[in-house]
Amino acid sequence: MRKRVLVVDDNANNLLLEKDLLEVAGFEVFEAKNATDGIALARKEKPDIILMDVRLPDMRGTEAARILRQDKEARNIPIIFVTASVMAEGVEEIKNIPNSGFIGKPINTRTFVKEISQFIK
Amino acid sequence: MVKTIDINQSHEFAESIINTVREPLIALDQDLRVVSVSRSFYQFFKVNPEETVGQLIYDLGNKQWDIPKLRELLETILPQQTAFDNYEVEHNFVTIGRRTMLLNARQIQRVSGKERIILLAIEDITERREIENGLEKTRIELEATKISEDAAREYAESIINTVREPLIALDQDLRVVSVSRSFYQFFKVNPEETVGQLIYDLGNKQWDIPKLRELLETILPHQTAFDNYEVDHNFVTIGRRTMLLNARQIQRVSGKERIILLAIEDITENKKLEREMVEAMDIAQAATLAKSEFLANMSHELRTPLNSINGFSEVLYDETFGPLNEKQKKYVNNVIISGRHLLLLINQILDMAKVESGKMNMALSSLPMKNLLHEISLLGADMVSKKNLQMSLEIDENLPNIEADELKIKEILYNLLSNAVKFSFEGGQIGMRAKKIDSEIEIVVWDTGIGIAPENMEKIFEGFFRVDTPYSQVTEGTGLGLPLSKKLVELHGGELSVVSEGLYRGTSVRVTLPITSKTEV
Repeated sequence: MRKRVLVVDDNANNLLLEKDLLEVAGFEVFEAKNATDGIALARKEKPDIILMDVRLPDMRGTEAARILRQDKEARNIPIIFVTASVMAEGVEEIKNIPNSGFIGKPINTRTFVKEISQFIK
Repeated sequence: MVKTIDINQSHEFAESIINTVREPLIALDQDLRVVSVSRSFYQFFKVNPEETVGQLIYDLGNKQWDIPKLRELLETILPQQTAFDNYEVEHNFVTIGRRTMLLNARQIQRVSGKERIILLAIEDITERREIENGLEKTRIELEATKISEDAAREYAESIINTVREPLIALDQDLRVVSVSRSFYQFFKVNPEETVGQLIYDLGNKQWDIPKLRELLETILPHQTAFDNYEVDHNFVTIGRRTMLLNARQIQRVSGKERIILLAIEDITENKKLEREMVEAMDIAQAATLAKSEFLANMSHELRTPLNSINGFSEVLYDETFGPLNEKQKKYVNNVIISGRHLLLLINQILDMAKVESGKMNMALSSLPMKNLLHEISLLGADMVSKKNLQMSLEIDENLPNIEADELKIKEILYNLLSNAVKFSFEGGQIGMRAKKIDSEIEIVVWDTGIGIAPENMEKIFEGFFRVDTPYSQVTEGTGLGLPLSKKLVELHGGELSVVSEGLYRGTSVRVTLPITSKTEV
């Protein structure tokens, strides 16, 4: 069965890049351009993994993650923050979110899918 | 009999004055040994009574008082004159740093014997030079008019006149008994309108200050002293000032009268400086905060488009969605190389900023340097063979582990090694040497390449300086590798230096790193 992944990123180019890489690797990809849509999609589709930008237009990706961690259906989905906030403050912010990972932008397109797959049970 | 009381009394009077004035004051015997010292002296110079009294003045506090100019004053000038006024000495004191001190001294022949006592008042005028300039002339004039008659009183009078801090002695009715010369100068009043007057009536009643009344009439009768009482007041003659008041109340031996000694220090300038310093600190802190916020934003904003540039180029180059012709493939590879270069620049600039603002975090561990150096040489093997270079390694068998941040040490060494390769001629020689020296290890990365012209020796650490030669391409480096490496070495408590005999004569970079980290984590 194809693995299902939700990508939340407000930058259309970066969203497309991640989608391409994942689809080429055989994932089924759901996209959202803001946190609200992302949360709704996560609840509806229950993907195997969520890739989340941190600076989103409506709220921070970490805030969205906290909401999902309260959600009965979505609380166990691993969340990988794919973010350009790679400085200490940014890393600190996501440290306390359970079952989460971190990939800094710019991503390495050759290892990206492998890094993601490691988080899927 | 009468004389004994006089001496005791004057002695007590003198001691009280010494302890009332905030200006550091020191009394020396004729051998220049310390007889007594005011409490402010201890505070100001951060010394203890035990290490002060009985000592030769030059030996005080780690010999920090062994100042040529002071020797000249005490040994040459003072034996010829009985006093000196306002001798400026600039000196770097061990405990308090570089200071300009104003020295005032009086030499007093003791009544009872032949011994002499030297009174030395020390004023720190580093921050107050301006005020003092205008006062110089008047003080000397007034000084000449003062002749003391009573030998017993002379000691006390001398002290009063030695200190530059305005000092006033009041009787129990708060009438002025005597006043220091500096008081006249500072408050611009004459002796005639001062002595015998009620303190509140002095100089057009400018001393009729509610807070001073409270101090003298309410507090002082209960306590015998008060220290560092701040009074803010608009004086008729000298304008709005903040004064620091210190007082002692002395019961005279011979009678029931009390004498109140009041030392007045103008701390207006000090307060202003203090305020300005706090403001400056606030501004600096805000600026630091704004800077790190700016850097975090910059980092984010640059990485976001770079993610697209590098990412899509890689996807194209990998021909994920179809083949490219040779030219297309070459061009898209150029984009990848430039994109990675840009990313390296961003990372190095941010690292430089982090080091400079003291925000670079260190993850210390025990590093097996021998292995690490071999590892780095393997990492560089590819670029070394591409240029047909010969690499020699001389790593001491007994090279110890060091306590350092692994990633940073690797970054430093890789930087230096790639510089050696980059600036070498095809077929040249490079190498790394490492050994232990005392409590440090020394690593030298050398090459026989293009070297550094003497006039560029300083510039190589400035950042973005790159030598254009046929042997190095402009796009190869960021010009930040060496400055950043130097900063990272220094962050570890080590040193980085560059030696080159000149252009085309090779370069060696010497790095020392402490075996045990001096960095506080």
